[in-house]
Amino acid sequence: MSALAASRSFDDRLNPILVKEVRQALRGRYFRALFWLTLGVATLVGLTIVAQAGSHGARTGVGRSFFMLMYGCLSAAVLAFTPFSAFLATSAEWDENTHDLLVLSNLRPRRIVYGKLLSALVQALLYFSTFGPFLVFAFLMNGVDLLSIAVLLVTSFAACATLSLLGIAMASLSPAKAPRVLLMAVFGVALVIAWGFSMSFSAFVTFQPNELRDPMALPSIVAFVVACLLLGGVFAALAVARLSHDEENRSSGLRVLSAAIVLVAALFGLWMELEFGQSEFAWGLQLAVLLPLAILWLLFVCEPERLGRHVVRHVSPHPWLALLTAPFLPGGGRGVALMALHMLLGLGAVFVVRLIPGADAAELSQALIGLALVYAYAWIYLALPAAFASLLPPKLSTRVMTRVTILCGIPMLVLLPPLAGLVLGIPSWMEFLHPLNPLFPLRELSSGRAFTSIEKLGFLVATVVAILANTPRMTHGFAEVLAASRARRAALAQPS
Amino acid sequence: MSLLDVRAISKRFGALKAVDAVSFQVGPGQICGFIGPNGAGKTTTMRICATLELPDEGDVRIDGLSVLSEPRDARRRIGFMPDSYGAYSSTTIFEYLDFFARAYELTGARRREVLARVIEFTGLGELTEKEITSLSKGLKQRLCLAKTLLHDPPVMILDEPAAGLDPRARVELRELVKALAQMGKAILISSHILTELAEMCSSVVVIERGQIKGGGAVGEVVRALQPTTTLFLRALEGPQACERRLLEQRGVSKVRLERDGVCFEFEGDADGQATLFAELASSGLRPIELAQQGKNLEDLFLSLTEGKLQ
Repeated sequence: MSALAASRSFDDRLNPILVKEVRQALRGRYFRALFWLTLGVATLVGLTIVAQAGSHGARTGVGRSFFMLMYGCLSAAVLAFTPFSAFLATSAEWDENTHDLLVLSNLRPRRIVYGKLLSALVQALLYFSTFGPFLVFAFLMNGVDLLSIAVLLVTSFAACATLSLLGIAMASLSPAKAPRVLLMAVFGVALVIAWGFSMSFSAFVTFQPNELRDPMALPSIVAFVVACLLLGGVFAALAVARLSHDEENRSSGLRVLSAAIVLVAALFGLWMELEFGQSEFAWGLQLAVLLPLAILWLLFVCEPERLGRHVVRHVSPHPWLALLTAPFLPGGGRGVALMALHMLLGLGAVFVVRLIPGADAAELSQALIGLALVYAYAWIYLALPAAFASLLPPKLSTRVMTRVTILCGIPMLVLLPPLAGLVLGIPSWMEFLHPLNPLFPLRELSSGRAFTSIEKLGFLVATVVAILANTPRMTHGFAEVLAASRARRAALAQPS
Repeated sequence: MSLLDVRAISKRFGALKAVDAVSFQVGPGQICGFIGPNGAGKTTTMRICATLELPDEGDVRIDGLSVLSEPRDARRRIGFMPDSYGAYSSTTIFEYLDFFARAYELTGARRREVLARVIEFTGLGELTEKEITSLSKGLKQRLCLAKTLLHDPPVMILDEPAAGLDPRARVELRELVKALAQMGKAILISSHILTELAEMCSSVVVIERGQIKGGGAVGEVVRALQPTTTLFLRALEGPQACERRLLEQRGVSKVRLERDGVCFEFEGDADGQATLFAELASSGLRPIELAQQGKNLEDLFLSLTEGKLQ
């Protein structure tokens, strides 16, 4: 009796989306057809290889081939079919007109996204358990060692979760069918590329198993899994934002995650310096996370300035706490403040590593200057146009146009001088060595060239203009948070 | 106190003002018919009420909660049935309702009890194992209504629930909606079938080109629109004699021959009508039929709207 009660209690706690999607998957044709197809192909290929091995007697080589083929089928299932089904499941909410019904239910957007992820992971686990005996068989044939199998399973599971979240986020972007078909095509290509990478990695692990015993292997795998988790978190936060009500907080989750990316990169750089004496990780990682951060900054700095009516009710009544959390609240001005905070954290992280005895202080000093220069480009390229766009009427179409213009404008600014160099015959421009390229200062610093006074002045002026142009909206953003905090204090002081 | 309180909401889509300062209220136990031509702004207004669209101006209170500052709490009190109802593929009726019951945080025995009650109320009992995709439109509408009732919302917003239904399914739906109103729910319902609404609504709101053209209790609105009463008179003396005598009376206008009697407008209350009939009898007219011809919702709709599209 108690077992029945426990099972019912467990059943009640299950995510409703997970229950629905598993039921749908088991009854639907897509999952069943792909599952049996994958299993059939794997069995057929496996039997063929084993039959060949019997005739040739070369067990190790055959074992490796057997493993590669089995892993190829498994990774196709978990890195392509499963994330793609997550995309289709989310997309179906728009197509089957159930999206509105879903958001009107008591399910919070976060629970909806996690439900979609969980159902994708359940499908992946089903594939893993199905292919488990094949992988064990490959091990018994001396095709691969247990460490390699473990590494491949862990990394492919992490990648499956991240790609599924990417699929969910992409499918949630547009209710219109045409853009979603385009997104589906892009996602499909991305999945094929991911599967290609996984096959290359499996070949590397299978044919050079000793590489996994290198001291740098574990940190690399940990870094990969952590990067998957962080990126997955960003995709989840994006999907949650898309499913939230317009007046709710659609930004703070992404903002916290973006700060986590900077902090994790900082901590990882510090650990690499302390453990392995690798100073370049300190600034290299900060540089590496700039691309995802730049995309997030672009979203933040172009947000409407006003706090949502629902968000205002959740600002801390304590003025200092409200001020401290202000960069994490929605709004373009506060987004610029968050960007500044990220930059300070990134520079601070490199500076801390520089203080460690034994660290390459000269290299890190130079890296600090280079990193500061790249950050300055972010101000000029992202915050400056966003500041001007914030003067336009606060419409969705204006925001979209601003983001698209900036997104397309930056590559244009980097690509145009090389094209002009081609016409004008300027070799350095043709090699991307021009001041509009954000990586140009790094290259110049590493080659030891000192910047001219005009270059320094031009750069300084542009950065100061970008900061000054954003100062009013940053000030207004903080003032609005303080006003909301005051209002909440006043509301709390009133007798109920 | 009204359960649904729409306060001067406006919504623009580019240059088009889809909803322009719309206000109305629906109280507990009321069924409010929301009528207007295609593109009048009915669905946009309903979606704003259901927290699915954001108004540019104004607010909507659901059981006292603002859809802007407390959208999540307001949603718990709304049962919204969209014009394009959602149905999951590869899902049975029971699985569909069970999913939404879980989504509304109903657990254990309570969930099973609510599911049984809703299935019985909507008459879906024998079909629970049928796949949704194989259902007729009428059954899908019933299923969608069942889903809307799972969390027992005090406010129900039904957008064109009778569209595409056969006469029997319409009658069944009407009875279900009436039963819901008797439970004390505030119901806002839009429909193109005005006779349907006339039979179930206690009040109406007429909207055209995003603006409210009129509204209130059905009888009051009709009376306000028509200060005169349309009457039909037939007498043994024939229609010509009726016409002559009527034209001599005060408050009588628009006298016209119709069938074997006359139709006319009379400006006056019930006492005035009684006096008129007495005077006609005293003048030697022997009436054999006297009938009041009331305006219906269709007349009301046509007189309020101009049929302009936007």
